[in-house]
Amino acid sequence: MRHLRWLLVPLVVIPLGWLLVSGFGRDPREIRSPLAGRTAPEWTLTSLDGETLSSGDLAGRPYVVNFWASWCIPACVDEHPVLSDAHRQLGEEVTIVGMLYNDRPADAEAFLTRYGDAGYSHLIDPDGRLAIEFGVTGPPETFFVDADGIVRDKQFGPLTPTLMAERLATILPSAAR
Amino acid sequence: MIPSIGHAAVLIGLGLTVYAAVAYVLAARDGDPRLNVSARRAVIGSFVAAAIGCAAMIVSLLTHDFSVRYVAENNATTTPPFIGVISLWAALEGSILFWALLATGWASLLLHRYRDRYRPLMPWVGATLATVNAFFFAVMTWPGNPFALTAPMAAEGNGPNALLQNHPFMALHPPLLYLGYTGLAVPFAFGIAALVTRRLDEEWLRVVRRWTLIPWTFLTLGIVAGAWWSYEVLGWGGYWAWDPVENAALLPWLTATAFIHSAMVAERRGGLRIWTSAMVIATFVLTLVGTFLTRSGVVASVHSFTQSAIGPWFLAAILLALGGSLTLLVWRLPDLAGGDRPSGTVSRESAFLLNNVLFLGLTFAVLFGTLLPLLVAATSGDTISVGAPWFNTVTVPIFIALLFLMGIGPALPWGTASWSTARERFTVPLGLGVAVTASALAIGLREPTSLGTLGLATVVGSIMVEEIVRGARARARSRNEGPATATWRLATRNRRRYGGYAVHLSVLVMAVAVAVSSGLATDRTVTLAPGETATIGGYEITHDRLVVEPLSSDARVIETRAEVTYAGPQSGSLGTALRDYPNSQAAIATPAVRTSLAEDLYVTLLASDQATGTVTLHLFVNPLVVWIWIGGAMVGIGAGFAIWPERRGRRVTVERPQRAPAAVTIEGA
Repeated sequence: MRHLRWLLVPLVVIPLGWLLVSGFGRDPREIRSPLAGRTAPEWTLTSLDGETLSSGDLAGRPYVVNFWASWCIPACVDEHPVLSDAHRQLGEEVTIVGMLYNDRPADAEAFLTRYGDAGYSHLIDPDGRLAIEFGVTGPPETFFVDADGIVRDKQFGPLTPTLMAERLATILPSAAR
Repeated sequence: MIPSIGHAAVLIGLGLTVYAAVAYVLAARDGDPRLNVSARRAVIGSFVAAAIGCAAMIVSLLTHDFSVRYVAENNATTTPPFIGVISLWAALEGSILFWALLATGWASLLLHRYRDRYRPLMPWVGATLATVNAFFFAVMTWPGNPFALTAPMAAEGNGPNALLQNHPFMALHPPLLYLGYTGLAVPFAFGIAALVTRRLDEEWLRVVRRWTLIPWTFLTLGIVAGAWWSYEVLGWGGYWAWDPVENAALLPWLTATAFIHSAMVAERRGGLRIWTSAMVIATFVLTLVGTFLTRSGVVASVHSFTQSAIGPWFLAAILLALGGSLTLLVWRLPDLAGGDRPSGTVSRESAFLLNNVLFLGLTFAVLFGTLLPLLVAATSGDTISVGAPWFNTVTVPIFIALLFLMGIGPALPWGTASWSTARERFTVPLGLGVAVTASALAIGLREPTSLGTLGLATVVGSIMVEEIVRGARARARSRNEGPATATWRLATRNRRRYGGYAVHLSVLVMAVAVAVSSGLATDRTVTLAPGETATIGGYEITHDRLVVEPLSSDARVIETRAEVTYAGPQSGSLGTALRDYPNSQAAIATPAVRTSLAEDLYVTLLASDQATGTVTLHLFVNPLVVWIWIGGAMVGIGAGFAIWPERRGRRVTVERPQRAPAAVTIEGA
């Protein structure tokens, strides 16, 4: 009986440890996108270069919508090369679209000059209406839409090369390397 | 150059604290006084290192050295110097640096002050504190390096967090809170030292009493200042939302308060010793848990600015501290057992025991509510949040019970109380309580918990006042002194007791203010075109005009401001604004608060239409809120009174100078 008191230590430490460890790798603010499995919102918007682009133009091709802002430092800076690389390497298979989130076009252009412009389009979302339709809570947030226009996956927070490959695999017919 | 100095200081701090921890353990085993001295010097050296680190960070912030990642993320070339300096604690890495400064400061002060006393205990106290501090230096060396560099170097920084530059309270709230958090390592270190050395008598409790009260006071002031900040800045008209970060500060406060009480029983009567040791451990572990929860990004909070790599480190520290100290406690259980059990059912000891059970209940409730989202996510994968209504439902009854206990506990005698003394002391206060509750009902207070709190506060307050008056009267009679002199002398000769009374009375003031302000507050949302008027609680609010302009102090910030005049119990004009910061997605509210002793008029701008000049305002009339802040300050004063050293031996009293400037009476104690 007297040795039973030693059970107190593992009885307290192990459950608490398990609970706190389980918290890692999950972002409490990440809410599963209700869009997953549904048709992506449609849009027709003007790019920073003054061209008009619409979701209809992309029909039949998988595409990635990346909500970002020049003021979103360091997350948007960190993921910028990941998107640029994806555009360079997989530009034939998938279209990448930057979507300005609550940002001034001049600031966004300065950002691209500074950190490199890979050449994919960045669209101006006046009033942030599209961001609301996609349910964006804060940049960076990236949606992965397949060739049928269905949202397959969403990345909350900055993309890393590994995450990018994982997410792209959900929309590319020939899974990304 | 400067960042390299800072980084070097952190590394030196790590080396010194690790050395101090090892040297103290060796000193404890061999009793070599030279080792003791050298370990103490290393601790003081680690304080100097932390100070150099903080200075290097402040210089980097003031010179806008964006090669440092922390500076690039929290500063911009337009940031004013004052905001630059306080940005030291605006984000994670800087906070840990500042934390290390305070923690090594406490350790140096304590170890220097008691360098020749408590011989068997002090090496273990030093070893514990040095180990804890080494952890913080290690975090800064590996996962949370405040001097990490950016590559490529940014031309312009991100600027300070918009919420943090909006109110001068940011300069006050974190330092107070951190002084409390870091200081609570001291009682923990004494607890560990007592357990290791088996010197479990009242000695360590006597030392630790003051060293718990001081950080407890800072923690209390920090929590109140945080509530005040949230009220003045966040614009939702309230001051406490049960956010995880608020709970993180409250949890160690609850167990520290329980400890302060149970330590009295342990010291005076030798009882509750296991309990008291457990509370010391819990308090320290909870300061770590709180930091972990709010800083690691595990639980969503207004404060968890970034997810960071320090999470696993804190987790390891929590489990080591908890596992290690629990093992020690279980090992020493046979030494701790014994002591007096509470002798009577109704006695001061049993009141203390009940007090501790209630505080522990509160701790579990708050901890459960804070961790539940984590538990649910871990078991079912769903995302839930536990809101204020749940916390209020669960905790308010316990708070009310504590309030009740606070009144009767100190009035009960040690040992056994007879029912007749109890009846004698409590009849008049009970009558008063009923009378006040009835009057509150008559003036329109309907909320049952508010009514109950108010009535109870009256009962408790009058018991306390009666208690003080009875003592003063007895002294006045026997020493032939005036009532004011008698009360003051009695209080200054029994600082612990009367300081405690003062704190209890201040808590009552706060309790009444919270009860009344939550029960009688009114609010409404109105949309007004220029020139239109709305009424709320005796005030007429007229919207004059809408102004949109850049802030004069920082032109990148655009302010949309409603200029309003108000008439009623207070009158004048105010401006309430939404500010758009370039680095914040949401506009930051700057509510206007007009405070009087009776009530606050609180106006916040929700939306506006620039074309027509129409604004939507949220209007609040919050009664008695200012008394929460006054009560908080009074707690600080009362605790300060209790902490102030009691003079022994000859006592010098200076009489009122205007009557007899030179008259100094000297009396024996």
